[in-house]
Amino acid sequence: MLRAAGLNAAALLARGLVFLARGLVFLAAGAAAQTPPVDYSPGEIRSIQSHGPWPQPVLRDPSNRASGNADAIALGQALFFDTRLSPRGDLSCAGCHLPERALTDGRDRAQGGGASKPRLDRNTQGLWNAGLGRWFGWDGGSDSLWSFSIRPILHPDELGASAAHVARLLRSDAALACRYANAYGRAVPPEAAAETALVDAAKALAAYLETLVSGKSAFDELRDALARGDAAAAARYPADARRGLALFAGKGQCGLCHFGPNFSNGEFHNIGMPHLVEPGRVDPGRHGGIRRVRADKYNLLGEFSDDATRASGSRTLHLAENHASYGQFKVPSLRNVELTAPYMHDGRLASLRDVVRHYSELNEDRLHQDGEALLKPLRLSEQESEDLVAFLRTLTSRSFPDVNAAPGPCKRRGQG
Amino acid sequence: MMRAKLPAPGALRGLALAALAAASPAAYAACDAGPGVLRGSTPRVALAFRTTPPVIKVGELFSLQAEVCPQDGVSVTGLKVDAGMPAHKHGMNYQPRVSHTGPGTYTATGLMFHMPGQWQFTFDAETPAGRERIRVDYTAE
Repeated sequence: MLRAAGLNAAALLARGLVFLARGLVFLAAGAAAQTPPVDYSPGEIRSIQSHGPWPQPVLRDPSNRASGNADAIALGQALFFDTRLSPRGDLSCAGCHLPERALTDGRDRAQGGGASKPRLDRNTQGLWNAGLGRWFGWDGGSDSLWSFSIRPILHPDELGASAAHVARLLRSDAALACRYANAYGRAVPPEAAAETALVDAAKALAAYLETLVSGKSAFDELRDALARGDAAAAARYPADARRGLALFAGKGQCGLCHFGPNFSNGEFHNIGMPHLVEPGRVDPGRHGGIRRVRADKYNLLGEFSDDATRASGSRTLHLAENHASYGQFKVPSLRNVELTAPYMHDGRLASLRDVVRHYSELNEDRLHQDGEALLKPLRLSEQESEDLVAFLRTLTSRSFPDVNAAPGPCKRRGQG
Repeated sequence: MMRAKLPAPGALRGLALAALAAASPAAYAACDAGPGVLRGSTPRVALAFRTTPPVIKVGELFSLQAEVCPQDGVSVTGLKVDAGMPAHKHGMNYQPRVSHTGPGTYTATGLMFHMPGQWQFTFDAETPAGRERIRVDYTAE
């Protein structure tokens, strides 16, 4: 009996210990769910630090004498919202780059010229932090923000204006003429020099766009917290986003292309996206962009650049044209990506979940024969996919400058 | 472990290069090792070069200054420079331009590593008997 009773007592004790251990595990799990661990490895910290600091300074563009000029910025802002820039008077830059949609339009492919014009081939890219880029457009067909601004002004399926129209607008509107004179130190050129007015208008637009830098995100707050060793602040980063961040930097190797503080290496890659625009017509992507930028008389090697050294045109000068660039498109920044749906060069993916699914189920047969050998299907679980999306959502800035803030009235300097 | 002291990439590379230099054949007259010098060789030609800036930044154009040192009896008539990521099977998006700056010396401009990771320089030294290909690995961070 004693023996049996002893055994029973031992069994009860053992059961009690097991119960206690389970309880501790449960408590530990509960605590872990509420307070994410902050023991980031040196490799993780290094990876996180490489995506900052934020915001990055937008350096003055030597090819644009209006860059950083407050009067030019005011002129650019006024033009950005002015529907008279279109000869029809019905469309401004902000008509496609909608402030309430993170400076995109929410469409899969742009409808630049309104309902009466054909859809364009590509998705409207957002303009937040555009000043940090070096190639502009999905194909990088422009090598400066100001030459990129000329394209939609002249494109017949977008604003459809001419240099003469832009010059007339600048001359005929007293406020615009005043801002132009303050920005460039002279009156709007006459009709015979309308192209100068066009380029100046585009440079003012670029100067304005350079000011559109978004604020810090939850990710930046994590980065800053890790940089200063603030464990409590780092612990506020959501657990699911942290798991997604680990996937982004690890298994996904996303940071190889979505590199640096702006989450883009600024270059072009083939990720296996179809590039058939319609039956019988393909979008050549970067291959066409290289040809276009080389042929562009407004490129950084041309006479309209204000960089006398032409050093800012070195990238354009050294561009390599190779067949691998066919079907490549620019790596977009992931900052504020949550706000810029739909995704990819033709907006064919409606949600971030669709984007993650693309990389998870990647059809390698679709990759161009010279596509990224790096890309392999990630085969993510449901949880992993959700975590990756959660991480991407932490790249949304908590604050944005007010793009609608109207500049004050213009007073012509030197006029008493 | 909130803070991780980042290793100095240049310092590590310097050590690796010094080790490589020690293992290289000593038959070449110049192409000496030194701070920031990267080196490679074939049995017939050695090559040493520096990059500007010394630590290559991902996404930034850089140039390099190379010195070619042939073995006795070998003459080098030109140099081609390229680079790529062997694991990714792609090259650079930019075409370097090489100029001959003096006896055995060349400058290449317009190089860019657009992704972090393992890159490989390829130098083709042209000789009357054919090209001598020298490969030098580089990790961009």
